[in-house]
Amino acid sequence: MAKLLMEQLTKTFDNKAMAVENFNLTVEDEEFIVFVGPSGCGKSTTLRMIAGLEDISSGTFSIDGKKMNEVEPKDRDIAMVFQNYALYPHMTVYENMAFSLKLKGMPKAEIKERVRNAAEILGLMDYLNRKPKALSGGQRQRVALGRAIVRDAKLFLMDEPLSNLDSKLRVQMRTEISKLHQRLKTTTIYVTHDQTEAMTMATRIVIMKDGVIQQVGTPKEVYDQPDNVFVAGFIGSPAMNFFNGRIEGNYFVMGQTKLLIPDSALPEGLDNQEVIIGLRPEHITHKPEKDQSTVEVNLDVVELMGSEYMVYATLEGHSFVGRVDANLNLSAGTVFPMAFEMDKARFFDPTTEKRIK
Amino acid sequence: MRKKKNWKLEILGILLGILWLLPFYLMFVNSFKTKKEIFTDVTSPPEQWSFDNYITAFHELDFLQTLFNSLLITVSSVLLIIISSAMAAYALSRAKSRISTILFFVFVAAMLIPFQSVMIPLVTVFGQFEMLNRGGLIFMYIGFGASLSIFLYHGALNNIPKSLDEAARIDGANRWQVFWHIIFPMLKPITVTVAILNIIWIWNDYLLPSLVINKTGSETIPLKMFFFFGEYTKQWHLALAGLTLAILPVIIFYFFAQRSIIKGVSDGAIK
Repeated sequence: MAKLLMEQLTKTFDNKAMAVENFNLTVEDEEFIVFVGPSGCGKSTTLRMIAGLEDISSGTFSIDGKKMNEVEPKDRDIAMVFQNYALYPHMTVYENMAFSLKLKGMPKAEIKERVRNAAEILGLMDYLNRKPKALSGGQRQRVALGRAIVRDAKLFLMDEPLSNLDSKLRVQMRTEISKLHQRLKTTTIYVTHDQTEAMTMATRIVIMKDGVIQQVGTPKEVYDQPDNVFVAGFIGSPAMNFFNGRIEGNYFVMGQTKLLIPDSALPEGLDNQEVIIGLRPEHITHKPEKDQSTVEVNLDVVELMGSEYMVYATLEGHSFVGRVDANLNLSAGTVFPMAFEMDKARFFDPTTEKRIK
Repeated sequence: MRKKKNWKLEILGILLGILWLLPFYLMFVNSFKTKKEIFTDVTSPPEQWSFDNYITAFHELDFLQTLFNSLLITVSSVLLIIISSAMAAYALSRAKSRISTILFFVFVAAMLIPFQSVMIPLVTVFGQFEMLNRGGLIFMYIGFGASLSIFLYHGALNNIPKSLDEAARIDGANRWQVFWHIIFPMLKPITVTVAILNIIWIWNDYLLPSLVINKTGSETIPLKMFFFFGEYTKQWHLALAGLTLAILPVIIFYFFAQRSIIKGVSDGAIK
């Protein structure tokens, strides 16, 4: 169990490229934090600085109040799961899991007990004598997790552990990791580029871009209250729709289209201002009764997802996607009234791309 | 059609096998003959299978001492080449910097220098340090063997993901333990290759020991074998018996190690 503090953490590589800039974060005990962002955003570099595998260029990192900047990885009491599992290929599953305990000089009987406990939790009892090459991807992933949990470390670090698995197995392992966290309650930092993993597993999400934190919050916070256009567009699948336009009185105007915004949803001082509004696909839908936020659009593509349609259309030069009940009979090329739930709209400054609250 | 083709290949294989085994056959049968018999008919089996040549060669060669010298020099050199080259290649492959790149190319470039061009200054320098002995010879073999071995290890190490080192470090291993517990066992296929290449070369080498070893009792088998070739007489019968004795340890070694040698080489091939 551990509380982490990262203050002004910065990583600059030899070629002067800044990978992580002024990273500030406090991680409470037992939290499951997910670092998410596109490739090259610095999430893995940050994780590696926490692990001690990368030097910290400036700033401080501490675990339970003890500064860790200069502490060797082996002395940080952390366990890490790697993207490629990093299982020792010449060792059996048992030996892989026992390796760290042997290095600690733990008695054989205790090693055996710990490994067997971990193997039982992860359903690996039948594979203890196998080498990694004789295991499937999912089993290898479990061994990697097992190697982490036998340690009983203060902190678990996971660097895109599911990205090498097929989609079905990924969903299964996602649940298993969440269950494991609920059971062990070990503080965990998990890196992924998959926002679905972030949303489903995290107690808090850290969204990063170009080495800078964009927002830290619970999955619900970052989904409902994104701080900027990047976060709004990154979190959620399909992504949030954005429309550039102007506020005129209580209306959002783009080209010939005018959409009424309820008073309660409109931030103050936006009259006659250019804005970007963001609407989630579930907030562009179909309503039987037409009102001042309903627009007839030509449907470009209609995708049946089972319980609902994803409808893709264009309005005033802005492509967008909406969600419509599957009971309606829809097809591409038809003109269809779509209701824009403007009370759910998020407003962003077109210059800074920050949310206007 | 296909069957006919295989049949031809089989014949070719048998012919090549005979061609390869012929020198061993000649060595073996003639080692039992008298000198006169050898010059009368070199290919036929001996009239009488007598071990006299072996007994004489065994004594003349001081075989046990000579075998010990060859074993000492070969085993020590190969072990030290393996250890030092694997560790050097590990350091060079993991510490990516301009210096490591330059150092690696220096090692590779050293493979291109012919031994004959450095042997005289080398022996002179070693002579000044009073290292013209078995220890000095082992030291030289490490130097001459390191280039190719580092090159081979370096290639193999580049295929071992760095995340294994990192996983081991997080598991609590220091750099020494990472190398010996994780990296070195994974280098087994290439270690077998390095060992075979160096054993063959060092065990059979004549030129370097002839320049370095100048003390009776310290000679290696190839050096001592020259004892049978005088200025005026060539004692082929004894030399061939001596040669048969000399290759016996290698055959015995291969007999015991063949499973791991083949496994090592084929493991490397699969990767």
